[in-house]
Amino acid sequence: MNWIETPTMERVEHYLDLVTFRHELISSNLANVDTPGYRTQDIDFENEIRRAEQRLEGDPVSPHVREVRGLIERPDGNNVSLDRETLALAQVQLQYRAGVELLRNEIHTLQSAINEGK
Amino acid sequence: MNLFGVLDINSSALTAERERAEVVASNMANAETTRTPGGGPYKKQLVVFGTEEPGRGKFALTLSRFGDIHARGVKVERVVQDQAPPLRRYEPGHPDADADGYVAYPDINPAEEMVNLMGAAQAYQLNVAAVQATKAMISETLQILT
Repeated sequence: MNWIETPTMERVEHYLDLVTFRHELISSNLANVDTPGYRTQDIDFENEIRRAEQRLEGDPVSPHVREVRGLIERPDGNNVSLDRETLALAQVQLQYRAGVELLRNEIHTLQSAINEGK
Repeated sequence: MNLFGVLDINSSALTAERERAEVVASNMANAETTRTPGGGPYKKQLVVFGTEEPGRGKFALTLSRFGDIHARGVKVERVVQDQAPPLRRYEPGHPDADADGYVAYPDINPAEEMVNLMGAAQAYQLNVAAVQATKAMISETLQILT
């Protein structure tokens, strides 16, 4: 950590990494909505955010990806639920925006200090 | 993979679903075709989707911060011909009629094709929505320093 990076920034960075990762999985689920045998993938967000805090800097982000259980399976073995994925997509989008806003806020505070509060 | 890689995933779905819609269109257009270059009536075609291997040598992957790549795109693995026997209709005057006066027509059910087309259109829309979400996320990131 250098002088310009606050602890909040670091945490938000972990958060944004995870949100992006989840967005990837949701996109993959949506892309494979008609692929026979494809299983819905997701991560346990709360668990992973706790794990991310302990991650060392420079380590790759590698959350545990799990298959989502309890979804209705179609005869071709695919269990992607459109409702679940569209809802998750909206959720991820808002989470990402929240993270970016936090980061912006942090940078603005810093900038205001640099400009002597002007 | 980063957000640009996510765009690749959804665009692979857009391509695949468009191809599916094309095949459906071809089936509907040829519902009454009795002559094909290969001889005999037109045969109904079906697309088979499969997951895409994570793209090697893609720019987005080079910038990846994530260890393993779980997200997969989709591709049309192959287009297969339906093996169902043709429908036989009694039309003795038809130039393609056999000795008994029956003409072989492709076994295409318009309702089935329409349902398939609707499925493709819905999946296409869904992936367009995902692309828009990704685009919004990327442009938000670009706003951080302004």
